[in-house]
Amino acid sequence: MLELITPLFVLLIVGGTMVGIIFGSIPGMTATMAVAVCLPLTYSLGLENGLALLLGLYVGGISGGLVPAILLGIPGTPSSITTTLDGYPMAQKGEGERALKIGIVASLSGGLISLLVLYLFAPALADFAIKFSYVEKFLIILFALTVMAALSSDMLMGIFSGFLGIFIALIGTYDISDGGNGKYRLIPPGTEYWLDGGFSLLPVLIGLFGLAAILEQAELGVPKGHSASDLQVKERSKFSFSIFRGQGTNVVRSSLIGTFVGILPGVGGSAASILSYTNAKTFSKKPENFGKGEPAGIIASESGNNGLTGGALVPLLSLGIPGDSTTALLIGAFTLQGIQVGPLFIGNSPDTWNAMIIAMLIANIAMFAMMYFAIRYFAKVVTVAKHLLFPIILMMCVIGAYTINYGIMFDVWTLLIFGVFGWVATKLRLEIAPFIIGFILGPSAEVYFVKSLESFGDLSIFVTKSWISVVLWLLIIGSVAGSVMLSRKTKTSL
Amino acid sequence: MNDLTKVSIDFERSHLVFPRLIALVLAILLVAIIIRDRQRILNAMPYWRGVFKDMDKTRFFGALGVTLLYFSLMVPVGNIWPNTGRGFLICSIPFVMLVGLLFMHERPIRSVMSLAIVSVVGPTFVWWLFTYPFFLTLP
Repeated sequence: MLELITPLFVLLIVGGTMVGIIFGSIPGMTATMAVAVCLPLTYSLGLENGLALLLGLYVGGISGGLVPAILLGIPGTPSSITTTLDGYPMAQKGEGERALKIGIVASLSGGLISLLVLYLFAPALADFAIKFSYVEKFLIILFALTVMAALSSDMLMGIFSGFLGIFIALIGTYDISDGGNGKYRLIPPGTEYWLDGGFSLLPVLIGLFGLAAILEQAELGVPKGHSASDLQVKERSKFSFSIFRGQGTNVVRSSLIGTFVGILPGVGGSAASILSYTNAKTFSKKPENFGKGEPAGIIASESGNNGLTGGALVPLLSLGIPGDSTTALLIGAFTLQGIQVGPLFIGNSPDTWNAMIIAMLIANIAMFAMMYFAIRYFAKVVTVAKHLLFPIILMMCVIGAYTINYGIMFDVWTLLIFGVFGWVATKLRLEIAPFIIGFILGPSAEVYFVKSLESFGDLSIFVTKSWISVVLWLLIIGSVAGSVMLSRKTKTSL
Repeated sequence: MNDLTKVSIDFERSHLVFPRLIALVLAILLVAIIIRDRQRILNAMPYWRGVFKDMDKTRFFGALGVTLLYFSLMVPVGNIWPNTGRGFLICSIPFVMLVGLLFMHERPIRSVMSLAIVSVVGPTFVWWLFTYPFFLTLP
């Protein structure tokens, strides 16, 4: 295992973590965007080194969001949304650096606890999933889509978005290598040359998370950056680890909530931090202090959102289903290297699996070391001018899209099409996360569904195949029913 | 009852089974959305008028237009020097500069100069990185 840790491997993790923190620290830029932009750099690095860079970006990107959340009261990434509630009041009281350090230590705890869950849980889940037939695999995808839709802000739109993603993924040929008949479907006449293999995954992802985000900023007039004087980084009271005394339960509970939310497909970091924060407030002896600069609030929010990082990798590495939009991009890195993630991945690629665990561990430690000891410098990143960053990011998006299939210009146009689609979709209140998961899993869902029917010739097989099918149907019905009941309850309480 | 669930799939037409099923589900969901959100759909025109009224049109459409131009020119320019990536390099420099200028709020000479440096150094470094160490051909 130790031979995996080469100087380049460590350098890529540390560099990735640093760039990730920078992306996370700048409001409007996210960990997903960081991974999307840097994905083309992994072409020549090989799988382990490429993943080292991307996992560093992921951990750094999620953690960096706490900087503007605390110093400016603006969450750098959606996952730091509840960090603002107590972090910013602390900063206003002259405890900015103390609040940042509380968040950094909590982030490290969340990251490490979720990594432990990933290490213990993913191989067991993969071992179990190996026994799945096409029927259960199809139901797992259906379950992933319903969970995601059920947890969307609008369930109906969430389900619609997921199925729309599947539909768009089916454009092109019914691939012979998947047992298909090699015939075209859903292709407008005259576009067969470009759409033969459908839309490539990475240009779609880069368009949705890179270009669409910049178009959104352009629509808002590219809000002005903040000056150094806006930063509330004065230090009136020093940070001490004693602040964590009595917070063990909060740290473990929030980290586990974050990890669990990460395991649920397509549920973002904002849900992880909100759930952790709400729980911390409910179980606190001083709930009235929350929202006024209570360190326990920052601890809950940050251990929750960093708990997401390991959790989101569990369904990806054991079932091939991404846990969130950033891990969906990691599928792109595997695709680039010709490796399919799924139940067989951990058993067949132990080196890559070990490399990922080591990379996550080093990334968490690097994140802690960099942010803890150099937080004053990272805080200044918040002030970087967006007019310098955004054009470079757009250019990197173009490279990512162009090089994915070794130089196909249609992929660059795909980036533009889905960038504009992403912007329009948010206006139409479509849900991007279910759309992406539907797009990624659509072709597999088709193969599992059609092959099940070809083999058994009976629709009832989806219920009667095994006890696992019955459990999965109960989970599917439960997630939809639970969401409907929750939405009714919310409406009546309003 | 058992016959109702029996399905036989003709391999020659198997490419249409799943897309048709998904299209049917989408149609049902769309009808449900239309029924539920009919009021919102009826107000779509004022909503979109509001979106366009509130947006920074210069920056939004300017960025979109410059991007469109950038994508359209890259290949024709690159074809002048095939397989060298110069189409990317030559088009990226003005692209970065133009988008940067578009996104700037004030344009003092100092800021414009730093943007000019970034727009030359950034694309040149990326072009060098992908052309030499990575051996990936850009347009």
